[in-house]
Amino acid sequence: MNLTAWIFNLPYLVYSIIFFFIPVGWAFWLATTDWNLMAEKFNYVGLKNFKKLFSSSSVIKSFWNSYRYMIPIILGCLILGFLIALLVSRLPKKIRGVAAVGFFIPYLVSGTAVAVMVQYVFSYNSTLSNFLRAHFDNVPINILQSETGFWILVAMVVWKMSGYYALFILSGIESISEEVNEAAELDGCTGINKLFRITIPMITPTITNVVTLAAGLSFHIFSEPYLLTGGGPLKKTTTWYLEIYNSAFVSFKAGYSSAMAIACGLQIFLTLRLITFLMDRVNHKFGW
Amino acid sequence: MKAKLNIRKYLLPILLALVFLAIILFPYYYLVLQSFVPWVKVDKTLVPKDLTIKSFSYLFTQSSSTNPYVWARSLLNSFIVSLPTGIISVLVGLFTGYASSKMNFSGKKLIYNLLVFQMFFPTIILLVPRFMIMKDYVNSYVGLILPLCIPIWAIFMYINYFKTIPDTIFEAARIDGASELQNVLLIAMPATKPISVIVFLTSFTTRWTEVIWDMKMASDVHYKTLNVMLTSQFSRTDALPGPMYASAVALTLPIILLFLAFSKYFREGINFMVK
Repeated sequence: MNLTAWIFNLPYLVYSIIFFFIPVGWAFWLATTDWNLMAEKFNYVGLKNFKKLFSSSSVIKSFWNSYRYMIPIILGCLILGFLIALLVSRLPKKIRGVAAVGFFIPYLVSGTAVAVMVQYVFSYNSTLSNFLRAHFDNVPINILQSETGFWILVAMVVWKMSGYYALFILSGIESISEEVNEAAELDGCTGINKLFRITIPMITPTITNVVTLAAGLSFHIFSEPYLLTGGGPLKKTTTWYLEIYNSAFVSFKAGYSSAMAIACGLQIFLTLRLITFLMDRVNHKFGW
Repeated sequence: MKAKLNIRKYLLPILLALVFLAIILFPYYYLVLQSFVPWVKVDKTLVPKDLTIKSFSYLFTQSSSTNPYVWARSLLNSFIVSLPTGIISVLVGLFTGYASSKMNFSGKKLIYNLLVFQMFFPTIILLVPRFMIMKDYVNSYVGLILPLCIPIWAIFMYINYFKTIPDTIFEAARIDGASELQNVLLIAMPATKPISVIVFLTSFTTRWTEVIWDMKMASDVHYKTLNVMLTSQFSRTDALPGPMYASAVALTLPIILLFLAFSKYFREGINFMVK
């Protein structure tokens, strides 16, 4: 049984050694060099790359932008996801599946495809831009490169993800037993009251899941700013992934970008830890 | 009387759901519509009128002397890269998941700890070193497929699902003389069908929409996936809106059809994932 088990695990192990464990070691070693992806020679620079991170405006922007993205994305996904799930849960059982799949479609639309549309819809000569200029003052010439740009990117992510998270919330709502619902209604607890006193407390573990997933997701934003804003204006929409990609493959600073990736990983780890800790306390309060 | 009551109970939610669904799906409707309207009307209409497939035929017949049918080729590349990834994730997930939850062997704990470590490790750190390892495989399918073919979450999906299947089933089969391979293929595989569907669909979709890796690995247009092809045309001012919309539709439609075809299993799988 020993041998068979190891044979079963072999593909995974070989893959992990080549594409996970060697790269991990390599990344930490690279972060201490000034290698540029191509040159034969490079120097050992110790912790210099890490020190440089603290004075880099892109890194500082990426750090704070992660949270600027995270908060509206979590709130947007939760609220919209909840609305969708509540609506679907009121439908007759037979059509729930179909409806859920309908709301799920945005999740399947690749970010690149949506970006094509957003680019044209908000371009200078588009119908929408002309309409906005005709009816409002102070419409920026390049909408995507204005303050609004950030919110357009957030809306793209929320639109894409809420139908997916709604499926989680729906499963949570469906798992509340009929007796609980009936007892609440007998006691005259309905509508908004029921939502806040019964439904939400009953599914806090599901909400925890969704919050953690959405938080993790907001660190991974790449296509939307890469295609639409290039991180601008003034790095207001930039993200870790975008900056790491640019420093590695555009400016060819492999060592520095590895240090950046490690810093990003550290922030993800600590933030998700903090969120889990906070959500556990909420769960605890509701008796989970 | 009863039917009447039901209609009254469900009428409002159904209407609300329809309105809400229409709002949510409107952007996608707009995207699809623009790919079918005549070029002079792209981005200027909301009603499906005078529909044509000109954008699609233009896109998929676009050729250069060195690269015939570049867009059609890139669509094919997306399948060439995503299909093996989906299949490999299912197979590796199944075998590794089975071994780590239904077999006893020395080192079991170690494998499990490795998996947990990998699961929570931010993959962005691996980007540059992985690229260096595969540097000689730039512009090849091997370079595109191998580094991203085994998602760790897939293995965990199987491990968690196997927890719901009693060990005694496999024990009984062993006593009857079944080999471990037979256990996997004849018992575990059929029993994990909903999870296999979810794993296949999700890893197929993730791979299909991958940007960063594919952008770096396919500098030659011959190996570009549709997603990268679209990305590379993005900032070009000579790109025609109609065909760009058409390529966006070509990028999304296969995924949507795939999910619709398996929607029954998908719901089951999500319900399991949440628990």
